[in-house]
Amino acid sequence: MSRLAFTHFIRAGSTRIGLALLLAIGIISLLVGRQFAQRQQQAVADVVQVQRTDFPRQAAVHHDDLGLLLYYLKFAVVNQMPPLTALAIGQRDVNPSVQSVTIRALEGQKYDADLTNPANLLLGNVDLSFVLIYLVPLLIIAFTYALISDEKETGTWALVAVQSRYLLGFVGRLFLIRLLVLLALLLVLGVLAVGLLAIPLDGASGLFLGTAVGYTLFWFSICFWVVSLQRRSSTNAMLLLGIWLLLLVVLPAGINTFLIARYPVPEAQATTLAQRKGYHEKWDMDKTATLTKFYSHYPQFRQIPVAATTTDWRWYYAMQQLGDDESAGLAGKLKQKLQQREQASLAVARFIPSLHTQLQLGELAHSGLGNQLRFLDYVTRFHEARRLYFYPKIFTNAPVSAEQWAAIEVDTFVDSTPVNPTAVLAPLLLYSALFLGLGWFQLRRTLYQL
Amino acid sequence: MTLRIERLIARHVWVTTFANRAVAGLLIGMGFLLLYAAITGWVTFRQQNETGRKYQQRARQDWLSNPDKHPHRMAHYGHFAFRPKAPLSVFDFGMESFLGNTIYLEAHKQNSTNFSEAGFSTGLLRFGEISMAMVLQLLVPLLLFFVGFGTVATDRETGTLKLLLSQGVSWWQLLVGKSLGLMAVMLTLFLPAMVITALLSLGLQTDGISLDQTIRLVLLLGVYFLYLSFFCVIAVLVSARSQTAKTALVSLIGLWLMLTLVLPRASQALGSYLYPAPSKTTFLADIQADVLREGDSHNPGDPHYRGFRDSVLTAYGVDSVGQLPVNYSGLVMAEGEKISARLYNTHFNRLLAIYEQQNRFTKAVSFINPYLAIRNLSMALAGSDFATYVDFQRQAEQYRYGMAQTMNDLQIRLISNAKPVPGSKPFRIDHTHWEEMPDFSYQSPHLANVLGHEVVSLLAFVCWLVLLLVLIWRLSNTLTVV
Repeated sequence: MSRLAFTHFIRAGSTRIGLALLLAIGIISLLVGRQFAQRQQQAVADVVQVQRTDFPRQAAVHHDDLGLLLYYLKFAVVNQMPPLTALAIGQRDVNPSVQSVTIRALEGQKYDADLTNPANLLLGNVDLSFVLIYLVPLLIIAFTYALISDEKETGTWALVAVQSRYLLGFVGRLFLIRLLVLLALLLVLGVLAVGLLAIPLDGASGLFLGTAVGYTLFWFSICFWVVSLQRRSSTNAMLLLGIWLLLLVVLPAGINTFLIARYPVPEAQATTLAQRKGYHEKWDMDKTATLTKFYSHYPQFRQIPVAATTTDWRWYYAMQQLGDDESAGLAGKLKQKLQQREQASLAVARFIPSLHTQLQLGELAHSGLGNQLRFLDYVTRFHEARRLYFYPKIFTNAPVSAEQWAAIEVDTFVDSTPVNPTAVLAPLLLYSALFLGLGWFQLRRTLYQL
Repeated sequence: MTLRIERLIARHVWVTTFANRAVAGLLIGMGFLLLYAAITGWVTFRQQNETGRKYQQRARQDWLSNPDKHPHRMAHYGHFAFRPKAPLSVFDFGMESFLGNTIYLEAHKQNSTNFSEAGFSTGLLRFGEISMAMVLQLLVPLLLFFVGFGTVATDRETGTLKLLLSQGVSWWQLLVGKSLGLMAVMLTLFLPAMVITALLSLGLQTDGISLDQTIRLVLLLGVYFLYLSFFCVIAVLVSARSQTAKTALVSLIGLWLMLTLVLPRASQALGSYLYPAPSKTTFLADIQADVLREGDSHNPGDPHYRGFRDSVLTAYGVDSVGQLPVNYSGLVMAEGEKISARLYNTHFNRLLAIYEQQNRFTKAVSFINPYLAIRNLSMALAGSDFATYVDFQRQAEQYRYGMAQTMNDLQIRLISNAKPVPGSKPFRIDHTHWEEMPDFSYQSPHLANVLGHEVVSLLAFVCWLVLLLVLIWRLSNTLTVV
């Protein structure tokens, strides 16, 4: 019986076209992901190369003035991209994965944007997460929307109902066959992804697959519930497409628009303005007052004797430092707002499986806002460490040649925030169970009403 | 009375549509969505433009409140350019969220345009945004398909079609009548949306209603009416070609998915796949390399600047830099700024050309996809497209260059050419000079420039119009009743 149903399903022209199309787009998405990964690797290779040649060149030009040299040197930090990012590019195409900073005031450099073509950003990437989140549900809908209604409309349902010993089991089996075929397809794409993109078989990739399976299950349960209502085929199709539209277009867009309006970030502009003023006005202020403020931030430099240099670098970097110090309040507020946005999205997403899947895949692939905020935190710490390392050397006018400039490599941030598998999978499984239950309950009541 | 039969048929479509409670519910839901889009569009517009205006003024005050100082300090103090949203962006957000809105303008350096909404967003943004334009471009066509899939096919299934045609109604009258009926349904959403858009965009123009904006609004009205009418006709034609209403529905849904989901992403992905753009590091490193090749102003032995010095000395008829009546380092900086700005613009134009290539496929696909045609055209008319953004960046760069050169000029004329003696008072000029530099104020591009970028989309529209008329005419002659 099951074998017959399977053959019937797999031999249908529409099934084959649907599966072939999904497989083809799936493979294309893997190629797109691979190209994205390669371009990111290229960008990293570029910056490594530039830093290697630029540092010794600058050191040669400014060989007698460490303060001036460090005015120019840009230290690069790379936000490491795990292989999984190729499957869920997320915000990685918007946010730069390489940030270069001098030891001058940070706030004016921290948010420097990448070079991007906004048309690419607007239309979005065809990556595997897109295929999974948008297209897989459509295929599930196409496979299942007419499962009972079609038989009713062509007049064969009465035959099926009479001949089947356990009609509910029969309907369940039809769904199960389709589910297994789709899961097999996902598995094929998974294997291809592992081979093509060198994805390690670790907890993150396992959870990625688990999320994909959970999301597929969710959509099957939605379809099962709609079919259980036993409306006409065209009503089912409209209802399911309506749900798809609601979950993938209307709700996410509506919520995002709301969050942007709810947590506006004028602090971004305010911070840069405050930083500029905080630094520049010190040129026209009393030197001692500036240095006193600087020493109250860094008492350890008070003891260092003043070196005889043409430029007073201690004063200069103190001014720069105060640019950051005096905009710190606003910068903190900006960070807090962004964290609120992230928290609010995650909280809302728990109730909307499509959002939940998108955000969690992004989290697993280190391509969400969370990763970006952690990267910026790291850049801040990195910047501080460079300052603390170079300040005493500049203040004592240490010789430029004492430092191995060619050996200063690009720094890398590795995001190792743990992901809680229960929090990722539970909402998906919960909603699947809910709609499966609703459908089963409904079908049991009405299945034999012809 | 002309078109009597067509009007009868149209009226029938209208009545049956609103008799269906589900459809009426959908229409009302769509209406609320439009309202939500209008409100959030208005709120974010106000928020962003107020922020921009506020900080633009504050940046100007900061600039003017500087005391007497060396003009080159002012060139480094710099200014900011905040990108204002165009009034019609309340209707179509376009690329707004992906475009930066703040540039720090300082001497020697072209900074990136920062703080795009996308950079501060969670992954949710990638699902799209709800603007009135998005509802009209994406959702209303699907609604029209839902309403229109059965217009002819249901008549065929129930046998009404035979009756109609045997009573002397021609296929042409039937198709036109059904299309007109759907268009009437469409107008119930379209007209209110456009009235709201008109009120909002006119209300948001702070300094008088401009002719340019009004023409944009009228054009938007026209192209959206055409666009939505296309979908009415397409729904009727597909319905007329299909044996059953179910087939018609499935075909229309497939078509909608193809036009709005698959083709746009696929064509853009193809473009960016084929034409890789340089990384930011390479872009900046290339400019730096070119600048160094032309001449390094820090290097005393550099041939370009030696030649420059000699020509300055000849021009003033003196033997050494020390004898010059003007500030020499100001002259050198003006020269350096000129070179670096020219090279930056060359590289920037090259980058834009690559982006243009990447977008080429999406533009070409407009001819088979009206969704892309309207999307590009609508953004351009609303002033939330890439061309308008590039225009802002160019004006900002122009201002930056002007500011740097004004400060260099002040230095050349007013700062002593003598070397500063350590311990003496540093050279400075009076702070009233800061007012000589006017504030940055963005002038939105003229409509003609905008349309110049969207010729392809306009042509695509004309093609669609012709194609659909031809199709109706052809099908009127070839369709069969059963």
